Amino acid sequence: MKKVLTIVLVLSLLMGAVFANGTKEAAPAQAGVTTLKWALWDIASTTYYEPLITAYEAAHPDIKIEMLDLGSADFMTMLQTQLSGGDSSIDVVTIKDIPGYNNLVKRNLLLNLNDKIASEGVDLSLYGGTTDQISVDGKLYGIPFRSDFWLVYYNKDLFDKAGVAYPTNDMTFAQYDALARKMTSGMGADKVYGAHYHTWRSAVQLFGILDGKHTIVDGTYDFLKPYYEMVLGEQKDGIVQDYATLKTSSTHYSGVFYNNSVAMMNMGSWFIATLINQVAQGNTEVKNWGLVKYPHAEGVTPGTTLGTITSLGVSNASKKKDAAFDFVKFVTGPEGAQIVAKTGTIPAIKNEGVIQIIASKPGFPTDSASRDALQVAKTYLEMPLHEKSAEIEVVLNQVHDEIMTNNISIDAGIAKMNEQVQKILAK
Amino acid sequence: MPSKKSQLKKQLVAYSFIAPNFIGFAVFTMVPIIFAIALSFLHWDGSNPMSWAGVSNFVDLFDDDQFKASLKNTIVYSLGTVPLTLICSLFLAVILNQGIKARNFFRTVSFFPYVASLVAVAAVWNMIFNPSKGPVNMMLYKLGFSSVPGWAADKNWAMITIILFSVWKYMGYYMIIYLAGLQGINPELYEAANLDGTNVWQRFRFVTIPQLSATTFFVLVMLTIQCFKVYDIVYMVTQAGPGTATLVLVYDIYNKAFISWNLGSASAVAIVLFLLVLIVTLVQFNGEKRFTN
Repeated sequence: MKKVLTIVLVLSLLMGAVFANGTKEAAPAQAGVTTLKWALWDIASTTYYEPLITAYEAAHPDIKIEMLDLGSADFMTMLQTQLSGGDSSIDVVTIKDIPGYNNLVKRNLLLNLNDKIASEGVDLSLYGGTTDQISVDGKLYGIPFRSDFWLVYYNKDLFDKAGVAYPTNDMTFAQYDALARKMTSGMGADKVYGAHYHTWRSAVQLFGILDGKHTIVDGTYDFLKPYYEMVLGEQKDGIVQDYATLKTSSTHYSGVFYNNSVAMMNMGSWFIATLINQVAQGNTEVKNWGLVKYPHAEGVTPGTTLGTITSLGVSNASKKKDAAFDFVKFVTGPEGAQIVAKTGTIPAIKNEGVIQIIASKPGFPTDSASRDALQVAKTYLEMPLHEKSAEIEVVLNQVHDEIMTNNISIDAGIAKMNEQVQKILAK
Repeated sequence: MPSKKSQLKKQLVAYSFIAPNFIGFAVFTMVPIIFAIALSFLHWDGSNPMSWAGVSNFVDLFDDDQFKASLKNTIVYSLGTVPLTLICSLFLAVILNQGIKARNFFRTVSFFPYVASLVAVAAVWNMIFNPSKGPVNMMLYKLGFSSVPGWAADKNWAMITIILFSVWKYMGYYMIIYLAGLQGINPELYEAANLDGTNVWQRFRFVTIPQLSATTFFVLVMLTIQCFKVYDIVYMVTQAGPGTATLVLVYDIYNKAFISWNLGSASAVAIVLFLLVLIVTLVQFNGEKRFTN
């Protein structure tokens, strides 16, 4: 009898273990309410999720939006792993970067939205050309809802203290370099660095693509040389903080800007909302800051900059595709854009009204140059849509790391990129 | 004599006790291994239909810079980490087996790196070894060294940094195993050696080391396997950089599988890693027969 009992116990434990995963699917659904799951990152520090969801649910009482936070650092990897495991519980997906988008499309995990865009009458002309940049053979698998671009943030107090005129919206790279050198001063704890490059490849390498003559997936990278020379020169002269130190100490770019140790910093527009918030809460030493357009190469229109697109798509495995698309349409549409802009974030629909909302947000710099800086002339994607972009990025990141830590000369590094990327392209 | 029925019942009970472990092993280890072997002969992105690749996944590895760098780095890492950890943990165990004061305190201290969260200690390690602001380089400066190593930021030092970190992290664990081994040595052997008029070194060389050979063998095999599988330490300390200076096989597998979604070639690397570990372990087992008593 005891033995039988033991067997029953062991078996029930086993059944429990084996089927534990299945039970959560059977959560009781409220009558008539459809729940959509939205995969995203950083719920706690992102200000626009809640108002978007609140607004949508208010207009659609029969829909409930549930957020699924997959974390920021590995978001695209996590998302792709979930979706390729056949997870049908995710309905709406946020697409963080282009290599990840490309993989999702290639792997057939996203719904082709063309039919729905046509039948629901979504006006793609509102998106300033960004939808063309993410079309694959004329098919669109996501609609942009954020369209960030790179700017130069600067610390007004440091410029005032040094008696140097603020940077302007029309700065060549040579002028930018000279200004950074002029603004560098002090020693030890009082040291002020003229500029700051975060450890991302995009913060340095992509200066090279702004003249529109090259892309980062070309397979030849000789055009990067002058920019690496400029940045490594600044690094050597102590104008910017050392890449190796920043990387091994995992220093976040926000910290150095908050504590008055850098005069200028090139960074994406996503930092505007965070900066306004942190300054308002008194968490920063920096009080007065401004924005100007990205520096440009000789002969290139000011306002030419790098961009990243964040889009929303519908999972191919979702069982509620129609409802999911309706939510995507709302968030990416004009109404969603207003809500996103109110939090200080740049939406993909970037018309005069939206710029007005961001620039008039309390805490946004009041000078006209900062406001004008939000007007962009031409944006190049950080990573254009390319079949091999994920693989190419691995090589570019590695060599960039070697160049910035002075473990390889600029010429040898460029030769290495040329060789290895061409090999990937030839495969 | 027990009837056939009760015999069967007994067996069922026995199987039911093995079952939880075995089902876990089958589902989470055996099936994935078999699947990985199959995958290494296929092209698959994890979603679209698979297609037959033959041996092309393996052939391509010969011309794959990422794979070649990671293979070399994994071997260098293992060659550096295994002997160093072995010597350090044996040394620690012998010292902490003596009747010194606060013995348990020191044992705990040396075991601490093994139980401490890797994420936390790697962050601290990176601060201590920061090339321009870290206390280690400050001290080296003060001692008069004019050019100090760049540690994790220098491609010639990054692997050394990883090896030192691993030795520090693992030696406490293997020290415990050695301590158990030391306590299993019959004290009479030392008494006899004493009567023969041996000195400390001779007793260590001719009593301790031979008596510990079985333990040493175990430590050697476990360490080697652990070293070939290294990923977490590299991820936390150098992110495989600078460039590919600390790119190891498992890191390459991750990149191929989850960045490029090339599961076939990722599995091919995994098979190479498996064969490598298998060969090294077989060689070690062979050697055991000769050098263990």
